[in-house]
Amino acid sequence: MKCPRCLRPVDHEAASCYSCGYSEADAAAVFGANHVLLNRVHDAAHCLRKQERDNLAETLDQLELKFPQMLFCAYLGALPANLGLSELGFWLLNHGQVKGAEYARPNENGILVVMDLNRKQIGISLGYFAETLVSEEDGYRALNAARPNLVNSEYGEAIERIFLKLGKVLDRQGRKLKKLTREQLYATLSGATNPILDLPPHLTRPQISPPRAEPERETIRMSA
Amino acid sequence: MKRFPALLLLASLPFGAVFARVDMPAWDNAGESAEYYLGGGLWPKSLIPDAAVAAAQPGESTGTAAAAVDLEFIGPPAPGVVAASAPSPGPTQFYGPAAGTEELAGGDPSLQRVRENPDGTFTVPEEIVEEEAYEPLPPLEGELADLYFAHAPVEFLIDPQRLLTEQKSNDIMRFLEFHADESKIRIYVMAIGENQKVPADVDIEALHQKWFSDSPAVLMLYYREQPQQTQLVFNDSIRDSLPKSVFDRILQNCLREGAVADLAPDQVEKMAIELSIQLYWLSRLMETENKEDSPLVTASSVHEMMASPDAPELLREYAPGIFIDESGKMLSVILTVVFVLGGLCVVGCAAWIVMWWRGRENVSGEPLLFPEFRITRRLGGEFCGGGFVSMSFELNEGT
Repeated sequence: MKCPRCLRPVDHEAASCYSCGYSEADAAAVFGANHVLLNRVHDAAHCLRKQERDNLAETLDQLELKFPQMLFCAYLGALPANLGLSELGFWLLNHGQVKGAEYARPNENGILVVMDLNRKQIGISLGYFAETLVSEEDGYRALNAARPNLVNSEYGEAIERIFLKLGKVLDRQGRKLKKLTREQLYATLSGATNPILDLPPHLTRPQISPPRAEPERETIRMSA
Repeated sequence: MKRFPALLLLASLPFGAVFARVDMPAWDNAGESAEYYLGGGLWPKSLIPDAAVAAAQPGESTGTAAAAVDLEFIGPPAPGVVAASAPSPGPTQFYGPAAGTEELAGGDPSLQRVRENPDGTFTVPEEIVEEEAYEPLPPLEGELADLYFAHAPVEFLIDPQRLLTEQKSNDIMRFLEFHADESKIRIYVMAIGENQKVPADVDIEALHQKWFSDSPAVLMLYYREQPQQTQLVFNDSIRDSLPKSVFDRILQNCLREGAVADLAPDQVEKMAIELSIQLYWLSRLMETENKEDSPLVTASSVHEMMASPDAPELLREYAPGIFIDESGKMLSVILTVVFVLGGLCVVGCAAWIVMWWRGRENVSGEPLLFPEFRITRRLGGEFCGGGFVSMSFELNEGT
């Protein structure tokens, strides 16, 4: 993973960035510590037409039916120059509450598409769970596939295409995970087989639990 | 004690070998055994003059014994030997060519071999010269000439000497009859021998005018197995209507077809077919000929003209290979193009379906559940640890 501010690599359980010291507290200091309510497609820049919103909502409905655990949302805004897109995505996933997202779709399962119309930038913020399913390469491919629509200011179609590409990635990843054994699943989810960063795998192994039984999230440290 | 039966059996074996004998069949009637020899005698004992000598010395026969017994030989005489002077055969006598017949066989030139003379030279046997297949024909004179030239021909094939085979003659005659039914210009074929000549007092062209002045006809004078001497005689009306080059081409084409075959019936058949084809186009030319396009006729080759669909069906049946079936060619070309285009369309559709299936973006199917697990938090985030991918879509910038 990378730091949202300085984009340097960050360890799996670092409390703050080793380079710049950035953490969620810094983001809260900038954007606020309160929680905000978001629409599934939050068009703060008012750049989507109704037809585009309807089509995008239909696509998101299909994706939510296909992936009942995942949260798909988008934020389109015209951000000030001193506000980083990655910082906004980091803060929105931690402080945002998407309307209509039931309890089965927590923010850590979220895939948030953030777009800044002022700087013509678009990004994808991933929750903890979504990070394990969607790699940086897959995210970049999805963004690149939507580039022609973005250049032509077809933002609705661009976001729709991004979500569909990510849906294919999730579908492929889900079928792949079904074939893995328990040990292979541990290794895959811990990033041992496909490390994105040049960092050694952490000693803490993710614990696989049956479908959600309790809302409290804990980290179980496995003894070596 | 146990070896005693084996030793006894071994000792008794030589006794069986000593007393063994050939088991010959026995005569039912004891009296017949004196009249026939057992073991291969072809003739009764009474017919063998030297029975006693033959029995004593099988395979030999002496002239004195034959002379002593005055019995007539009933068997077949040896080839080349007079039956009366042939020696009487014994029970095992050789019945092939007698010794005296070799001299007669040596007189045959076909059996001669190369012999070396005392002076070192060799005597080569004379080669067998095959006789000519045809007997020399009499000259066309008298009654034979009258058969050809006295009266106008009734049949299209004039062959009173039967120079062609019967089957081919019938075929050619039937073809010429069909041609006469279908064409305005009839064909008469007159077959004469290769060494025969038209009598000097017979003018074949005048005869043609006399016979066929009222109806157009072509008289083909064919010399047996000499197609290069073939003559074609046309009516003056036909010859005057078209330039001479046309008739020269017709004759050349006929001679070329005749030269393909070796036998006279085949030559006549091929030349008649070719002449029929040429006459068809000749009639077409005569129909379209006028004074304005006369240079066109001289410039165009009759043989190179393309066949048309209204060609006589007879020629289609008899010589189908000479026609160019344009409709069939076009049909085959169209079918080929259709098949190729259809194949390309099918391949393209299949490729498009594969590409569409691989590149489809709709999400369908059963809901997919992922195994849940928990990951340690980082950077203090409750739900997100800063995982982010971005891209710029400004035209002048990269990612």
